[in-house]
Amino acid sequence: MRKHRLILVAVLALIATMSELSNAQVPGAEVTQSPASRERSTSGSLTGPISGYMDFHYNNREDEDALLDFHRFVLLFSHSFSDRIRFVSELELEHAVVSNETKGELELEQAYIDFLVTRSFNVRAGMLLAPVGIINERHEPPVFHGVERPFVDTVIIPTTWFDTGVGVYGELRHGLRYRAYMMSPLDSVGFSADEGIREGRQKGAESNASSLAGTGRLEYVGRRGLVLGTSFWTGDTGFQDRRFETSVTMVEFDGRYRRGEFEARGEYAHGFLDGMGELNASRQRTVGVSPNVARQVRGFYLESSYFVSPRPAPREVALFVRYENFDTQYRMPTGFQPLKAFDRDAWVFGLTYFPDPDVAVKLDYTMLRNQSDVVNAPDSLNVGLGWWF
Amino acid sequence: MTHEVSRRILAMLVVVAATWMASGSDWAGAQERQVVEVVAERFIFTPSEIRVPVGTTLELRIRSDDTMHGFRIVGSDVNLAVPKRRQGEVVVIFEATDVGRFRFECSRLCGAGHNFMRGEIVVVDR
Repeated sequence: MRKHRLILVAVLALIATMSELSNAQVPGAEVTQSPASRERSTSGSLTGPISGYMDFHYNNREDEDALLDFHRFVLLFSHSFSDRIRFVSELELEHAVVSNETKGELELEQAYIDFLVTRSFNVRAGMLLAPVGIINERHEPPVFHGVERPFVDTVIIPTTWFDTGVGVYGELRHGLRYRAYMMSPLDSVGFSADEGIREGRQKGAESNASSLAGTGRLEYVGRRGLVLGTSFWTGDTGFQDRRFETSVTMVEFDGRYRRGEFEARGEYAHGFLDGMGELNASRQRTVGVSPNVARQVRGFYLESSYFVSPRPAPREVALFVRYENFDTQYRMPTGFQPLKAFDRDAWVFGLTYFPDPDVAVKLDYTMLRNQSDVVNAPDSLNVGLGWWF
Repeated sequence: MTHEVSRRILAMLVVVAATWMASGSDWAGAQERQVVEVVAERFIFTPSEIRVPVGTTLELRIRSDDTMHGFRIVGSDVNLAVPKRRQGEVVVIFEATDVGRFRFECSRLCGAGHNFMRGEIVVVDR
């Protein structure tokens, strides 16, 4: 019998300012480890089946009353049926209260089963996140700067973009990973001039699946500190009015690079919306108002950040600045005019203080601008407290 | 301060001793040793593939760039917590005594892409 001898001793940890050590037993050897690794167990997950994140915001927009908003209360539940069959879910309460009088929403953003087959081929089915952009799959508050998620990841890429679907994923070779899913499509009835395709998400609520959308991502993560990715989404969107065909194709490119205390990231997303001329005309006839949906939406941002106090928590502080440019009426269908108020750009700068790597106290100032001579785009001062557990 | 330094030195000695005892008395002279630094962050291990020739003693020094992750070698009893950013590292000694593929993964739910955090130690013929 072929016998693999995996001798293994686990050991320790330790580091600079953490001088407190403890001893623990590992079968067959005595080891020393840092306090943080005391949770170790010999099977399954290192913590309980519940994790989550929270986001608490103070938003003070120019010429408006300030708001205090418990923006997100999110719980993640997971379970391993076996080493190869696993369940993960994410249940999110937004804006604290769900009622007819409030903006609150209760959403099942993820609930899928992974069938882990090989490193290069695995199957996922259930409620999935579209693998588009930096933030959609990686949106825990401590992992991005700024109180609110980037505008581009809100009105161009409709984060959090989730729906029912099935797909495959894996790592093809060293550091080259892919995701390829079939998901429920967007619904063009929800498209708008100011938020593009955002309100077209069906969110898995009896999603119409008469045609499925295809989405995927290819990314390179093989070099330390560097992530390069590209993603797409394509699918029909016109199942509520079959007199004309509409569809959306989005392409996206992104990159992140970290070296020492410096990090830079950038993202470019471009959406192509077919059939919007007919959609606008149809809505004009039937409800009296054209939604003035564009045939192309586009946005990009560049961000850099630097840990000015790179000492271990509770002394970590990072400064950041981000420039965003986004236009939900980048190109219009023939016969429709763009509104300049939707051609926007923003400077967002501020700091993130980490009393713990999983707790982020955020402060930013956002200068939003548009190309309109009539519609004002307000500046805002934002303070946020976000945490992951 | 002196007490703190003494504790660190004592800890290092314990680690070295534990490693030596667990590895057997012959590795130091006969086996090649390779040190690989592994960085864990949502939702990546870098490197995610570590290739070593059979007979290598592989020392993995694993640290996190964000939250606490787990490091588990599937099929073994290795399952360690990787401390949060700037709070330390864990060291795993892996004796590559036979050719094969050994999968490792994050064992602590770390966010939406947790199940993407996987990698392999590939032990190849010399």
